[in-house]
Amino acid sequence: MKRISFWLLLWTAAISGLHAWLNVSWAEVLNDRLPPERRKLNVAYIPVT
Amino acid sequence: MTDYIARHALDGNLFIPKMFQGFPEIKEALISNRVQAGFLVAPMAIALRSQGVPIKVVYLGHRYGSAVVVQKDGPVHSVADLRGRTIAIPSRFSDERLIMLRALQKNGIAPSEVKMVEMSPADVAGALAAKAIDAFSMGEPFPSQAEMSGFGRVLFQAREYWPDYMSCVLVVRQDVIDGRPEAVQTLVDGIARSGLWLEKGKPYREYAAEFVGRYYFNQPPALLKWALTRPLDRVMYAPLSPRKRDFDLVRDLMIESGLLDKKLAFEDYVDVRFAEHSQIKTAWKFEPGTE
Repeated sequence: MKRISFWLLLWTAAISGLHAWLNVSWAEVLNDRLPPERRKLNVAYIPVT
Repeated sequence: MTDYIARHALDGNLFIPKMFQGFPEIKEALISNRVQAGFLVAPMAIALRSQGVPIKVVYLGHRYGSAVVVQKDGPVHSVADLRGRTIAIPSRFSDERLIMLRALQKNGIAPSEVKMVEMSPADVAGALAAKAIDAFSMGEPFPSQAEMSGFGRVLFQAREYWPDYMSCVLVVRQDVIDGRPEAVQTLVDGIARSGLWLEKGKPYREYAAEFVGRYYFNQPPALLKWALTRPLDRVMYAPLSPRKRDFDLVRDLMIESGLLDKKLAFEDYVDVRFAEHSQIKTAWKFEPGTE
């Protein structure tokens, strides 16, 4: 049982880590925590010329 | 464009470019302050302002670059043949819809004689190929995509019915205009310089197609090369200053087609100060292939 729990925990941690690395835009998360006057501006565009 | 500006502006990294797949999503992000600036179709920007959303148009994204495309071997050979057909547009609040209405009107067709459906720009070429729609009115590179893939034919370019046609405009939230005007000016200056750089000739446009296609749009560079160079004035990047007569026309067409219920003054939705200050700028000093 302990062995299963260990691998389950490891698997969950690995998946969570990969998700945080691949899918979270940390630049934006950190930017949102800056005071408004120091924040970078988010500029939206769509892929048309 | 914004990324290049951010990297090369003297003020350091000021912008984070965020790609969306449709204009309605950008509209929501602007309202909720998830983005502070963005490229919108002009009628949507005017409509938002008329509804009290605190934004202003400060610059244009480009001129021309929209076309109506039909099936290559299909039965539509003139605007008159569009009677009874299904036409995809990016949004009810788009210049692409207004240009369609203008073309229909000039050919004596009532808007009720065609069926217009809203569709995400990225989906229209596939829908035309699958014959789910008979035509679409859209900005580049989607007309080029249909042409290049061999199933679409340009029925007309927007400029044929609207000589000073414009579509995407840069809007900025009013709190940013008031609180950080220097950042807005940097953004506008950068777009102006990028536009001048693109207008330097074919090698510049081809180089832009390579890096924008690969790193920003996630589209084949060959497609963007087609859109930017066949011919070179298919999409123009100068002059991009917002002009009153262009916006008055959009506003009046919106009123005619029921998108707007009152005459909004130009100054209510456009702030020309940043465009006026950017007029002395020169193109980026950067030669294709050197970075």
